[in-house]
Amino acid sequence: MSGIKASIAPVPTANDFLDIVLSKTQRKTPTVVHPGWKITRIRSFYSRKVMFTKDTFNEKLDAILSDFPIMDNLHPFISSLLNVLYDKNHYKLALGQLNTARHLIEQVAKDYVRLIKFGDSLYRCKQLKRAAMGRMATIMRRQKDPLAYLEQVRQHMSRLPSIDPSTRTLLICGYPNVGKSSFINKVTRADVDVQPYAFTTKSLFVGHMDYKYLRWQVIDTPGILDHPLEEMNTIEMQSITALAHLRSAVLYFMDLSEQCGYTIEAQVQLFNSIKPLFANKPTILAINKIDVMRLDQLDPERAALVRSIVEESEGKVKMVELSTYTEEGVMDVRNLACDTLLASRIETKMKGTKINSVLNRVHVAQPKARDDVERKPFVPEAIASGERKKFDLNDPERRRTEKDEQEENGGAGVFNIDLKRNYMLENDEWKYDVIPEIHEGKNIADFVDPDILEKLEALEREEEKLEAEGFYGDSDDEGSMLDEEEEAIRSAAAAIRSRQERAKALSQDKNKNKHLSQVPRKFQNRTLSQMAERMTAIGVDPSSVMARAELLAKAKGLSGKRKRGGDEDDEEQMDEVDSEEAWEDEAEESMDVDEDEDAGSSRRKARKSNEGSRAIVSSGVTTRLRSSTTALTNKSGGRISARAGPARVPARDRSSMGLRNSEQRDKSIRLHELSIRDRNREAKAGESDRKIKEKKPKWLFAGKRGKGTASHR
Amino acid sequence: MPQNEYIEEHQRRHGKRLDHEERMRKRAAREVHKASAVAQKTIGLKAKMLNKKRRAEKIQMKKTLKAHEERDVKKATTSSDPDTALPTYLLDREGQKDAKALSSAVKERRKDKAARYSVPLPQVRGIAEDEAFKVIKTGKRKQKGWKRMVTKPTFVGESFTRKPPKLERFVRPMGLRYKKAHITHPELKASFNLPIVSVKKNPQSPLYTQLGVLTKGTIIEVNVSELGMTTTTGKVVWGKYAQVTNNPENDGCVNGVLLMSS
Repeated sequence: MSGIKASIAPVPTANDFLDIVLSKTQRKTPTVVHPGWKITRIRSFYSRKVMFTKDTFNEKLDAILSDFPIMDNLHPFISSLLNVLYDKNHYKLALGQLNTARHLIEQVAKDYVRLIKFGDSLYRCKQLKRAAMGRMATIMRRQKDPLAYLEQVRQHMSRLPSIDPSTRTLLICGYPNVGKSSFINKVTRADVDVQPYAFTTKSLFVGHMDYKYLRWQVIDTPGILDHPLEEMNTIEMQSITALAHLRSAVLYFMDLSEQCGYTIEAQVQLFNSIKPLFANKPTILAINKIDVMRLDQLDPERAALVRSIVEESEGKVKMVELSTYTEEGVMDVRNLACDTLLASRIETKMKGTKINSVLNRVHVAQPKARDDVERKPFVPEAIASGERKKFDLNDPERRRTEKDEQEENGGAGVFNIDLKRNYMLENDEWKYDVIPEIHEGKNIADFVDPDILEKLEALEREEEKLEAEGFYGDSDDEGSMLDEEEEAIRSAAAAIRSRQERAKALSQDKNKNKHLSQVPRKFQNRTLSQMAERMTAIGVDPSSVMARAELLAKAKGLSGKRKRGGDEDDEEQMDEVDSEEAWEDEAEESMDVDEDEDAGSSRRKARKSNEGSRAIVSSGVTTRLRSSTTALTNKSGGRISARAGPARVPARDRSSMGLRNSEQRDKSIRLHELSIRDRNREAKAGESDRKIKEKKPKWLFAGKRGKGTASHR
Repeated sequence: MPQNEYIEEHQRRHGKRLDHEERMRKRAAREVHKASAVAQKTIGLKAKMLNKKRRAEKIQMKKTLKAHEERDVKKATTSSDPDTALPTYLLDREGQKDAKALSSAVKERRKDKAARYSVPLPQVRGIAEDEAFKVIKTGKRKQKGWKRMVTKPTFVGESFTRKPPKLERFVRPMGLRYKKAHITHPELKASFNLPIVSVKKNPQSPLYTQLGVLTKGTIIEVNVSELGMTTTTGKVVWGKYAQVTNNPENDGCVNGVLLMSS
């Protein structure tokens, strides 16, 4: 039961239709073809064009066919209104023709695609395509009339008033020129044209109004003449359609003055002849133009005739009088019509089966009385006793107001009322005290605290109490003990915090460190002393581990040297921590127990060579040393320190030769670091490492996945 | 919301703009210039379409002008010709008016010229065998080439039964078979979709005739029973010859002219 679509797309004329479709084919299909192509390619080129044209026609025609409503699916009122206005058969025929055209076009496309399959040259295929399009165009051109008709229907349909067939409706009908449109203009805002001749209103008009907080729809219909249904024209048929299909209150308008040009008898006759349409509808006989002629003023015979309508109906028809000219009774008619319709709608609803499902759910809660006490609304004594009178401007005894005072003293603009007079303060003298807003550069409002005195007192009381308890007396004896404990807790807390900080910084630096090359753990050097230090820091006694390590070293037959080396090692470490840079100590003095002896000895030699100044081993030397030592690993993954010969260490440290002082040396170190930074970052083995890693991996260029823009593989 | 004929309603109540007529006149006068501007600006396919449309309009206009002039010279013919009885399907057609201005002498000469040839298309383009037939390779190794497929439209009679496919020399594909032809009656100047009865003669070669190949110039026999023609003796004619006037392989349909002289 759907209505008409709000806006139907415009229907092009047959010629426009062709232009649209053919130019779309031209735009959307390939246009370049060569006779040298393989014949299959040429064939598919042209059959694609044919199929595309067919598809476009199909799509457009489908859109039209689905846009226009199917009359049988509409509400009976809308359906028969459309039938009256546009002729159902014609409408159906037009849509049917378009449908047939669509089928024909499909058929043509099918035939010609089949023929193109047998085309043996470009020319032949092209001719066949041309013929196919020509035939489709011819079929479409024949639809000129249906298309033009449908476009007109569309335009007219969009201007039809939107009548909701199921809502509360007042329907106004009657002979032409009896004042139907004047009435709708009076009760709604519909601006219907009113003229003093018949058939001013040629179609249905809708107005809306509010009554009892409900929305009402008022429909103005064209006048009806009293003749058989077959002889009625389109204008009258619209009224009949509305009368027949809308569930509404019918207002039958009569003009007793006969100014409309139809006799009272004729009007009564019309009522009787269309009476079947009023069945089951609340009907009101509205007698209009009572400013000219009332029912009482009519001669008794004719008046009886009019009254007979009401009498014959057995109370179903109600009669009211009104004049749209003087507006007498207009609202009464409206209210009566609305009330009766509302009543009848409720009645029919109650009769129906649907109401039960609603009634079951409806529950009106009514509070139960909890006791017998009567709770009346509160009315102040003064008012209940009538002591205080209602304010009345004309009463000389009335209350004096500020306004009265103002008027007495010269009126507004001259007299200013005293606002401070009615202040309610503790002391009346304060009323007119002047309080500055800002005092000594401070806003007074910021310091206003109504309880300030109380708070002050409370503070003072507390202070006194503390003093009395001896809270402020010296108590050193306990304090020191407490302090020590507290100190210990504090330092522990600080240690924990700093460790957390470090952990945090480390994890935050993770990304930063990512691109820097890292020495694998098994190549990292740790000394026994470092380990011992760390273990003591955590709180584990390292002595047993140290003892075992020394034992192991002894077992390797290094005890003698070791002893000596170990001593020196410690002392040396201490020195180096002072003097050397961090980069050095990672590389040089950090070593395993196992390899202590040779690296240590090498260092000893180096130190011997330049005794005066502390041995400064440049990174260049150390790396070379490392690379020579790290080349070999034993089974367990540890480093084998034993070597055929002693490490060759230059007698003189040339890296620092020719450098005047420590500043120059520092600078050279810095520059060196700078120079190797980039290459380290790219994980180059050294200066001579020119290897270019695979830039174009095979998986990007082989296989099915194409060049690869996806980030994931 | 405005309903029904709200524009007319408004115009009736408030009238049109005071300069409405003036504006309309100016717009009409400007129309030519606008069209010209558009015509000068358009290019490509749009221009082609526009030019075609304008040309057709001009021709139409000239024709109407001429028609008006002719009306002054001669009076219009009546819509129905009284001396020949028209069949029912032609009753709604109007009489031919285009031949009005032609003198009877010109008409005579045309008739003579038409009478000189027995058929509308006296000469046809030759069609080589390799154009009409496609060689189909057969055999297990596809090395035999004695089989042919006809690549032209054909007419195959209803009574035709295929030879065993293995031995069939000429294959006439189903997609290129035609049963009906659009035949024009030269005197009535009307076309009818008539069923083909047989192929009488293909001027290319007797082989083509035998195969029922339909090419331009082929004489076919069509069933004219629905035209309701009668012989002078009063017998109903149902078969008549017609000549194919188009290239069916290019157009996807068979068009022809009825041969009246025979």
